[in-house]
Amino acid sequence: MAMVDKESSAGTETIVPKLTIAQRLDRIQMHLKQEWQIYAMLAPLVIWFLLFNYRPMYGLQIAFKDYSVFLGIEGSPWIGFEHFETLFQSDQFVRAFKNTIIISLLSLFIGFPMPIILALMFNEILSETYKRTAQTIVYLPHFISSVIIAGIIITAFSPSAGIVNTFLGWFGVEPIYFLTKPEWFRPIFIGAGIWQEAGFQSIVFLAAIAGVNPSLYESAVVDGANRWQMMWKITIPCILPTIIIMLIIRIGNLLEVSFEMIILLYQPATYQTADVINTFIYRQGLVGGQYDVAAAAGLFNAVMAFVLVMSANAIAKRVSRTSLW
Amino acid sequence: MRIAKLTAVALATSALTSVAPAWADDHHKITEEPLELTVHMHHKRYTKYDEEWPVEQAAREMTNIHLKNVTVGSNSTSSEEAFNLLLASGKIPDIVGTSRIKDFVFQYGPQGAFLPLNDLIDEHAPNLKAYFDERPEVKAALSAADGNLYYIPYLPDGKYGRAFFIRYDWLDKLGLEVPNTVEEYEAVLRAFKEQDPNGNGVADEVPYFARQWEELIRLVTLWGGRSSGSDTYHDFYVEDATIKYPYMGEGYKEGIKNLARWYEEGLVDAEIFTRGSSSREFLLSENLGGATHDWFASTAGYNSSLQDSIEGFTFKAMVPPENVNGDRIEEHRRIPIKPDGWAIGGTNKHPVETIKYFDFWFTEEGRNLVNFGVEGEFWDMVDGKPTFKEEVLNNGRPMNSQLYEVGAQLHARGYFQNYEYEKQWSNEYALEGIALYDEGDYLIDQFLGVALNADEQKVYDRYFSQARTYMLEKQQAWILGSSDVEAEWDAYLAELDDMGMNKVLEVMQSAYERQYGG
Repeated sequence: MAMVDKESSAGTETIVPKLTIAQRLDRIQMHLKQEWQIYAMLAPLVIWFLLFNYRPMYGLQIAFKDYSVFLGIEGSPWIGFEHFETLFQSDQFVRAFKNTIIISLLSLFIGFPMPIILALMFNEILSETYKRTAQTIVYLPHFISSVIIAGIIITAFSPSAGIVNTFLGWFGVEPIYFLTKPEWFRPIFIGAGIWQEAGFQSIVFLAAIAGVNPSLYESAVVDGANRWQMMWKITIPCILPTIIIMLIIRIGNLLEVSFEMIILLYQPATYQTADVINTFIYRQGLVGGQYDVAAAAGLFNAVMAFVLVMSANAIAKRVSRTSLW
Repeated sequence: MRIAKLTAVALATSALTSVAPAWADDHHKITEEPLELTVHMHHKRYTKYDEEWPVEQAAREMTNIHLKNVTVGSNSTSSEEAFNLLLASGKIPDIVGTSRIKDFVFQYGPQGAFLPLNDLIDEHAPNLKAYFDERPEVKAALSAADGNLYYIPYLPDGKYGRAFFIRYDWLDKLGLEVPNTVEEYEAVLRAFKEQDPNGNGVADEVPYFARQWEELIRLVTLWGGRSSGSDTYHDFYVEDATIKYPYMGEGYKEGIKNLARWYEEGLVDAEIFTRGSSSREFLLSENLGGATHDWFASTAGYNSSLQDSIEGFTFKAMVPPENVNGDRIEEHRRIPIKPDGWAIGGTNKHPVETIKYFDFWFTEEGRNLVNFGVEGEFWDMVDGKPTFKEEVLNNGRPMNSQLYEVGAQLHARGYFQNYEYEKQWSNEYALEGIALYDEGDYLIDQFLGVALNADEQKVYDRYFSQARTYMLEKQQAWILGSSDVEAEWDAYLAELDDMGMNKVLEVMQSAYERQYGG
């Protein structure tokens, strides 16, 4: 009997809403029987997401609890929004939040165009050997660990032996102890970030440029366009979707300032401009072991990032009809 | 089977030693039948307990207590992480030994995760009891907020930690005396700066340097201030039975004012905040550094390692210069109690045997075993004193690493260190400096910490970390000259009050009075 039902229902779409639960289950079973290989291939990824991205969300509740490791997540009493209130009453958290936004926006506005410019410049290089060498050199810093980068920066900006101060010395400038000056922290941090990552990030854009249809350039040459015009009228418009997608992804990670780098570079003297939410959490945790407050700050950070990526996507959709979803 | 096998290994070890082992008799046996206890032992130098350590095998043979390794989180060097993993696993083993155990037992002991040891010690641990009876202040410092003792700590021996070091050969070269007062100290540092003692024709000398910038702040003691009350930087201190914070006093203000001047005049390493831990190695070997405040043993070691490359190199300890009040203060010393050690898990079914086992390490044999390693292999008794064998001392490997490898000097175990162990391989210059400091009485009492109860802890957590951040920010700003301590001082104190620092001091005081009886 069931077999007959299923066969008749499978034939016509219009009957679907009228199916009983048993019939639906049958259909699903049938479907799984036919397509199980595809689901088997999907399964590892779904499990990975469930285990490592969804399961930990359970622990987020400690942001609303007076958490004790010994009592466990379940046993700790609920306290509502107290941790959030604590955070927002603290000048240092507000300052850290402000710094996070400023450092993120600055690295976005200054740092995001850099790999695009680099990719465009590489594209214009005619000598293959020169191009490959230059590319390798700009990729390299990406593979150096933050600790070493921080060491290089500290040495480079040292007032006694650093290359920067030596250079400034030629022009009669007195040595500056850059790493203890709040006004210099952001330029140094953002500059270091660009130096480290711009080359590697340009790979995506180079790939996009390589995908541009050569016949566009050929016809442009026939029409007498110069290289500059070709770049503006062909290359950039063609890679624009890639640029927008990269931008949205970047905005999603906006609040994730690479805090290990900040920890390595900052000093109490530069907290004023350098202290971000993550470093604030780190210090709170070290002194007080306040997992619950730290979880609250982290949750707040995540919510902000979510809002940012949603709005960026909406704007992108409206402006350029390109979007993540 | 397993136990029998381990015993066999221990026996084999003992059979190999030429000297008849002192532990051949049974007077340390705690149980007739071998008893197995589980242990979590984590320290960044050894992230798990090793049943094969010769010291453990010897102890097993003597006590009949067999520790079984169940350490969680061995792949991490963070003891906190490992401990949290242990808690998350839900099974506290019979014995937990780890660095930072004090914080864990203070928090979770009263909740039942660890057994209170007071009665156990009184009834079953004569050696521990004798130790504590002699030192009531240590027992007070170990007590949690509920008044109970939950762990047996690693108790370092020896008094001295850091000292003032100066280039004696530079002093000779410039015809200067060892500075006796803060004014003379300043004059000497200025002479180092201006009179080219390294003789290369360039004023590149760095008069005062330090591996940790906090050692610059430590110099406020020269103006009657304080920088910390213990061997941890920025810690509270006790004066006239009152808990104080060092960065709120008049002497500190004076000190910072003068240090800011020193910094501006270049008497202090201009890069002191960023040069970091390699600064001592670099500045001494480049013949640039003039004076510092650092550990006796490791700093004195440069006299041997650099004597060939720098002619006449003599970097030795000097007594602390007299401060503006006429006192000589060495603020840093070895703290007598470390927050590391071991405790008995709350579900341990053999608490009496376990405390007897803990007590074993405080007997003479146990203490020698944990300090010097296995008798006959590492040391022999000479004139009633354990003395390292020549071939162990002079095989070119650092003595402390050799000891760690065999399971001796494990800081995640509760034991009383014997300074003799270190003295036997200390550099002669370090011993000379220690003798110099022994002539005077420069050390000051240490703050051994308090156990906050849950309410006090809340206040402390809420205010202290941010107030401390604020104080450190100001401290650096003042030294670097970006703002003026004199002008800002009153506003600074008012701001600290606003940030709740006085509430923190209040809860620290109430905890202190409860614990040490006011």
